[in-house]
Amino acid sequence: METRGVLFFVDMKKILISGLLTGCILFVLSYGGLLLSVRFFPALFAEYNNPLFNSDGNRDLLFYLHAFIFSLALSWFWDRFKSLFHGALLVRGLELGLVYTLVALLPVMWISFSALDVTLVMVFSWLVYGFIQAIIAGIVLARLNP
Amino acid sequence: MLLLSPGKEQWVITDTSNLIVNGSTNINKFSCEIPSYDRLDTLTITRNGKGALLSGNVGLNVQSFDCHNSMMTRDLRKTLHQKEYPRLFIQFLSLNELPGLTAKAQSVTGLVDIQLAGVTRRLEVSYQISADADRTIHLLGFKTIKFTDFNLVPPSKLGGMIKTNDELTVTFHLRIRAI
Repeated sequence: METRGVLFFVDMKKILISGLLTGCILFVLSYGGLLLSVRFFPALFAEYNNPLFNSDGNRDLLFYLHAFIFSLALSWFWDRFKSLFHGALLVRGLELGLVYTLVALLPVMWISFSALDVTLVMVFSWLVYGFIQAIIAGIVLARLNP
Repeated sequence: MLLLSPGKEQWVITDTSNLIVNGSTNINKFSCEIPSYDRLDTLTITRNGKGALLSGNVGLNVQSFDCHNSMMTRDLRKTLHQKEYPRLFIQFLSLNELPGLTAKAQSVTGLVDIQLAGVTRRLEVSYQISADADRTIHLLGFKTIKFTDFNLVPPSKLGGMIKTNDELTVTFHLRIRAI
C-alpha cells in the first residue's frame, strides 16, 4: 500500500514537472509564433475585432496561462497512455498531435463554428494552431517522460 | 453671399448630416460612420461681438454606427457601451468668429461639450464653414479625441496582441438650414 502511494507521488511529480517544462517551451513558441503572425500576416487577425473576443484585458492572464493548462493536461494523458505511442520522438509527437486533434480539437472546433459568429478561416487556424502545439508537446513529453 | 442677420438665429440640422470616426489598431485601420441624422434638432446662434454663442445639442444614435464590417461595428458599439448609453451628444457652445457664409469654406474654431458613454469633455473643435447655392450651411468639424479621455478602454484582443490605438479622429458634417 505504501509502495503504491510512493509510486503515485513519483508519477504525479513526473507529470507535473514534465507538464510545466512543456508549458514553458510551448509558452515561448506559441506566443512568439502568434506575435510574429500578427506582425507579418495582419490581415488574418482583423477578424478578431469582434465582440466575441474579450477586449477589456481582464482575462489576459488566463489567455497566457493556456500553454500551461494545455501542457499539464497532455502530460497526464501522455503518462497514462504513452505505452501506445511507439517509434522515434518525432513520430510519437506527431501521433499524439493527431490523437489530440481528432479526439478533442475537432469536435470543439465543430461546435465553435456551428454556434459562434466566427469564420471558417478562423476556426481552421485554431485547428492547425492546436495541432502544431500538440505535436510540439508530444515531442517534448516523449523526451522528458519516455 | 449669405450674411447672417444680427441677433439671434435658428438653424435646423438636416437628416443628411453625418459623423465619421477614423481609428487604427496595430494591424489595420478602421472608419466608422453614422451616415444620417435621425432627429430634428436646431442650433441657436447669437452674435457676440466678432464671435458667436451657439446653443443646441446633437444626439447621435450609437446603434447607427457602421464600420463597414459587421464584427467591427458590433465591437465599436460594445466599446461605447451602447446598451447603457445609446446616444453620444455634441453640445455646441460657441464659435470664435462668425464669418460671412460663402461657397468658399472658411476656418473657425469653437467650443463643444462631447458626451460619450456618459462622460462629458469640453473640447475646442476646428470647423470649416461654407454655404451652397441651396442656402444650406455646411459645418464641417474636426477633432482628435482619445478613448481614455472618456474613461473608455481601447479594445485589445488576444492578450493585447491586437491593440486599438487610443486616438480617434472625429469628423462631423452638419448640413443646416436657417429657419
